[in-house]
Amino acid sequence: MDKPHEKLLETMHQYKMAIIGPREIILGFKALGLEPVYMSDSKEVVEKLFSLKREKVEADGESKNKYAIIFILEELAQAITPDDYKKLSADPLPAIIPLPSHMGTTGYGLAKLKTIVEKAVGMDILN
Amino acid sequence: MAILNVNPTRMALLGLKKKIKSAKRGHKLLKDKQDGLMQKFMEVIREAKRIRLEVEEKLGGAFKNFIKAGSIMAEENIEGALLYSTAKTELEVQTKNVMSVRIPQFKLNTSGDVITYGYLDTSGELDMSLQSFQDVFPLLIQLAEIEKSAEALADELEKTRRRVNALEYRMIPDLEDTIKFIQMKLGEMERSAITNTMRVKAQIEAQLAEAVR
Repeated sequence: MDKPHEKLLETMHQYKMAIIGPREIILGFKALGLEPVYMSDSKEVVEKLFSLKREKVEADGESKNKYAIIFILEELAQAITPDDYKKLSADPLPAIIPLPSHMGTTGYGLAKLKTIVEKAVGMDILN
Repeated sequence: MAILNVNPTRMALLGLKKKIKSAKRGHKLLKDKQDGLMQKFMEVIREAKRIRLEVEEKLGGAFKNFIKAGSIMAEENIEGALLYSTAKTELEVQTKNVMSVRIPQFKLNTSGDVITYGYLDTSGELDMSLQSFQDVFPLLIQLAEIEKSAEALADELEKTRRRVNALEYRMIPDLEDTIKFIQMKLGEMERSAITNTMRVKAQIEAQLAEAVR
């Protein structure tokens, strides 16, 4: 559907994806072509995220983010403080997406959606 | 309500009237923008919730398969098997502009095969888990796209709402009050000028009458 107020802006670029999690869990994603970042301790997660976000590559004479999507396991994502998260998600790229692990969901992802809704609407209207 | 710090002159009045006109127009435009954003946001957020629930359901199973494979096979074997995966994924990103919010659009390009190992050293669970990873992968990309969009829209909505409120409850009433204040003040000055002239006239007439007598 073509909407007049929605315009495609930029030319396409090639990006990479990364996934952060414990080695034994995310190994499988490596086979899919994602870049695995092994980490089982939640302490260094924030720093790692910042450094991944900062990573740039030169393409067509301009530098752009290397990663478009950074997946992170929910257990590790919980260590990110709201302040840091705000800084991390300020730019259009990369998207930082929490994923549930083999232990099942911790509810972190839905809680995140909830905060987004509350921010936008003023109250939680999901459910 | 606060009255702005201006001189009560006709000049200031004209300036303020111009200002309130543009403030009202800006308010209307922003309000329209807010409505548009909200409409888009509602579309996106419901979709986001649906996809997230789906991901949570499917990915858990995929991870379980993988852990199972890991428990059957030695870790070196798994790593060795995955080392030669020829799968290459590249992400194409386009940015869409919705009401001045930049929303990313991801398009996945995959090539090559995930399963490129001999079947001798590996277990069937590994095949299964890799297959299930591959199956959920497009869904993950979709989730990333839509959650990022929701986030960006929410940010912009919050900003817009603040601006609308600032205009509606602060700027416009203040301007209205100040305009009223200046108009009253000008009227007051006019009346005092009239009474002054009347008083002076009466005095002159009294003096004239005295002189005639």
